[in-house]
Amino acid sequence: MEDQYSPEYGPSWPDRRVERLLGALVVFVVGLLLALIAVVIVRAWPSFAHNGPAWFGPGGSVEDQLNAISLSAATGSHYIYTFHAWPLIWSTILITGGAVLLALFAALFVSVFIVEFAPGWLANVLQPVVRFLASVPSVIYGLIGVVVLVPFIGNHLVSEEQKASVAGVISLTGYSLLAAVTVLTVMIAPLMVSIFSDGLRAVKPGWLEGSLALGVNRWRTVWKIGVRSARPAIVAGTVLALARAIGEAVMLAMISGSVAFAPNPADGLIFIYEPSRPLAPTIVKNIDQLSSPPFNATLFSIAAVLLFAAATASLAGHLARRAMRKYGAA
Amino acid sequence: MELLRTPPPIRRLPLPDPEPATEVMAPAGAGFSAARRSIGAPQFSIRRMEVDGVSISYGGKRAVRDVSLPIRQGEVLALIGPSGCGKTTLLRSLNRLTELTATARLEGSIRLDDVDVTLIEPTLLRRRVTMVFQQPNPFPMSVFDNVAYVLREQGSRRARRRTLEPAVHSALQRAGLFDEVKDNLRHPALKLSGGQQQRLCIARALAAEPEVLLLDEPCSALDPQSTQVIEDLIVKLRDDVAVVIVTHNLQQAYRIADHVAFMYLGDLVEYGGATALFGSPREQRTREYVSGAFG
Repeated sequence: MEDQYSPEYGPSWPDRRVERLLGALVVFVVGLLLALIAVVIVRAWPSFAHNGPAWFGPGGSVEDQLNAISLSAATGSHYIYTFHAWPLIWSTILITGGAVLLALFAALFVSVFIVEFAPGWLANVLQPVVRFLASVPSVIYGLIGVVVLVPFIGNHLVSEEQKASVAGVISLTGYSLLAAVTVLTVMIAPLMVSIFSDGLRAVKPGWLEGSLALGVNRWRTVWKIGVRSARPAIVAGTVLALARAIGEAVMLAMISGSVAFAPNPADGLIFIYEPSRPLAPTIVKNIDQLSSPPFNATLFSIAAVLLFAAATASLAGHLARRAMRKYGAA
Repeated sequence: MELLRTPPPIRRLPLPDPEPATEVMAPAGAGFSAARRSIGAPQFSIRRMEVDGVSISYGGKRAVRDVSLPIRQGEVLALIGPSGCGKTTLLRSLNRLTELTATARLEGSIRLDDVDVTLIEPTLLRRRVTMVFQQPNPFPMSVFDNVAYVLREQGSRRARRRTLEPAVHSALQRAGLFDEVKDNLRHPALKLSGGQQQRLCIARALAAEPEVLLLDEPCSALDPQSTQVIEDLIVKLRDDVAVVIVTHNLQQAYRIADHVAFMYLGDLVEYGGATALFGSPREQRTREYVSGAFG
């Protein structure tokens, strides 16, 4: 057989060919990614071009604007692109920001507990459980939110007076910011715990021992040496969770209330019971309109904003990690 | 039993000036070419710690058996012996680092200034009896922050850099590192050379103002030149702190130690002055080990 390895002719599959193959694969993947970005931007362009910076601003009802865009395509005479996405952007900021913040603190303490304080058998149980939780499909979290959390909030947490006080504006049914943030937190926290605890476990034992040997107690040692050295992993986990939260569509479409409304914290604590709809679920909800050109451009403009947000988070995380690695932390 | 939570006043005992140095030749036939560095040892030394009938076991496996030793300020005590003889375990028990291993059990008593160490709160004990490890383990921070770390953790309030500076500089000076790093105090400690890293770890330990300094094979990861610098440093330090060093390097023990304890399979075989132990060992096993028959 000709292809077989023989010392005279050298290996039939030389390194150089492998290198070329891998290089071609990398070029292919990068090319796909660039093509994806280009398609999204080109498709989104009409919407941004017509609205300008006002795309990101407030003004009018988002639902009315979406209806007008849809109607303009049906009549076919003159496409309307007017779209002011502020309520959706604000909802995205509140829900993902709240969830990432809550999950960051929760995950930090849980991972420190698992890695540094839990007895071995407990850590051995918790670790696979956390990894499993991180991989549960989000639609399951959404179902549990709809069946358990939303009715609980609607029936027990929101008082009748509160419902009455906003009756003319919005109805408080339990589909709310609170439900969305809670379920999203539960969804992304295991992912963060998983990455944080890998980071904490990678901290050199000599550093922790060195600190203990200087008479610094265990908690301070874990905090000042362990968590500090694991900061790059903490940033990486937070960015990954943030990207997942920004892009989460199905689960949030199920429980955020799916109303383009901007809850206002200035109204008092009632705003956490108010419904809203982030950017990603807006795409899911209106996916049937994709065939109309102006609506298509509007949905792709939302996608472009999501893509840009995720890329910014990723870049910021990269820069932060590089700054933290200056002193040689893990 | 009441724990001592407030630190007793640190007994920093001044020692009289050492005798003028006289060069003593290495004992013939023992194979030691290096001259002793610790010549001119202080005539006065003060007993600070007392190891009394200590046995240590890990989950039923005996690592140290019935060891009794004095540890004195003003001298360097070297623990020597082949690998696995329990010398590092004994060293770690002196500031209760063995307790970090859940299965470790200690019998007998270790006293610091006549107070049993189990009565001293561990964090307080570890500040008075600090340790430097075999592998240099500077924290992933700047040089300054490494030394300031223990000072910041001791202070109740967050101290300003300027107020910490004198203490940090003096610790670096005592460790003989200041001149090399004085312009780079903000540089990452992990960028220093191995020998510098180890001296930084010694500076870090000294910043805690310890009374006893434990060194666990501090030179085994270093080149000969860095080793020499650190040996000089250890000999200089012994006036201010009691120094205990674990080493598997017999020449090193001979060069720097005033007293040497030879351990074998968990037993303390022989304890004595360095010249006596290396020159005319009493025990057969010591003689064999010192002359390189085993280990």
